[in-house]
Amino acid sequence: MASKANKPALLIDGKRRDGRGFGDLRPLNIEAGILKNADGSAYVEWGNNKVLAAVYGPREVQPRHTADPLRAVIKCRYAMAPFSSIGEHGRTGPNRRAIEISKVTREVFENVVMLSEFPNSQINIFIEILQSDGGTRAAGITAASVALADSGLYIRDMVYSVSVGKIDGKLALDLDMIEDNYSEADMPVAIAPRNNEILLLQMDGNYSREEIDRAIDMVLEAGKTISAKQREALRSSYSGASR
Amino acid sequence: MRELVTPGELLFERPVRMEYTFIDNNRTYAKVVGLFEKERATLIPLEGIWTPRIDDTVVGTVVKGRNSVYEIDLSYFKRSILIGGMHETELTPGQVIQAQIKDIEDYRTLILFRHRVLSGGVLIEIKPAKVPRLIGRNNTMVNQISELTGTTMVVGMNGVVWLRGGDVGLATEAVLKVETEAHMQGLTERVREMLQQETKR
Repeated sequence: MASKANKPALLIDGKRRDGRGFGDLRPLNIEAGILKNADGSAYVEWGNNKVLAAVYGPREVQPRHTADPLRAVIKCRYAMAPFSSIGEHGRTGPNRRAIEISKVTREVFENVVMLSEFPNSQINIFIEILQSDGGTRAAGITAASVALADSGLYIRDMVYSVSVGKIDGKLALDLDMIEDNYSEADMPVAIAPRNNEILLLQMDGNYSREEIDRAIDMVLEAGKTISAKQREALRSSYSGASR
Repeated sequence: MRELVTPGELLFERPVRMEYTFIDNNRTYAKVVGLFEKERATLIPLEGIWTPRIDDTVVGTVVKGRNSVYEIDLSYFKRSILIGGMHETELTPGQVIQAQIKDIEDYRTLILFRHRVLSGGVLIEIKPAKVPRLIGRNNTMVNQISELTGTTMVVGMNGVVWLRGGDVGLATEAVLKVETEAHMQGLTERVREMLQQETKR
């Protein structure tokens, strides 16, 4: 695993390993509505990440005692496929990490879905990582928000998420797995673009105050691209709709 | 001019009360994917869930029950109870009925009344969001399909459609065409063309 002894060169001639600049995203491709059985679904390819998200609901609450008579409850499951990883993640079954990511993802969407419109019901969000290469929780949130919009549930906004890390003392957007493992810091952020609310902010490592400010600016800048891709995915699933 | 909007998109810089939108900070935003017409201030959702309303017509199958109280399967996650008249014939499980929503109790149970037994025929399910399009303005779409195919149709707001008689296969095809192309304009025309071509053969 990551240690100083076997650290690869993260910066080559002032550029990142894959030739990206510090504020560049990996190639992102989103498709909406690809699972017929789900109420809403999306597939995201983000660099080497491949993520499938499906949304079901509103449906009957299971188990019954978790029902809320005034609003819907969201149940979120983030899971990595056993074959998903180039590293050591992705053993079968929920582990500490998957449970944590499921929880933070659920909390992101509790702020966005209009829960009081669906009292006494349950909304299921499934995020399945088919192939992972760093930044899967961000990719998962980005995919799930397209799936939610595709399901027709009432939502206030389409959330996007991306991480900012620090490699060799420099801030870099959207770390891949190797960069992440040997970085000094990594910070996934989820944003609701309508008024740039921050819905998720986790951090590994250390940032100075100014670095956090700069990191958030980088996220907001890149977010324009991600948001546009998300909305484009929904549009193209209804080709010919505006005519 | 209809424009496709996505959730969170700004529709008006002022608060406008319309369906499928929300107002925040005196601005109007979309809360679903839909087609937006600025002049008429309407947003037609392309995906969506059925929110039961009183007086909605629904189609479902009897699950169980006796003594004029029956549980009905509406392909909806909430329980629905049909209360029939005292002196009517008993319904048996499996029978298909059409009914109206009388009341929604505690957001939990739908109470149905004014039922009618639909015997024979087939049921198909479509997305509830597409039902208004299948009915059409003043029932134009349903009437057109049933006239051209000779099929009797009952469309439930819950997305269950009952068909009997005539060319059921062709009618089913037309219904599914409406479901997949609900967002495109001039659909009534195209469905008529399709049906006329098929019936000529």
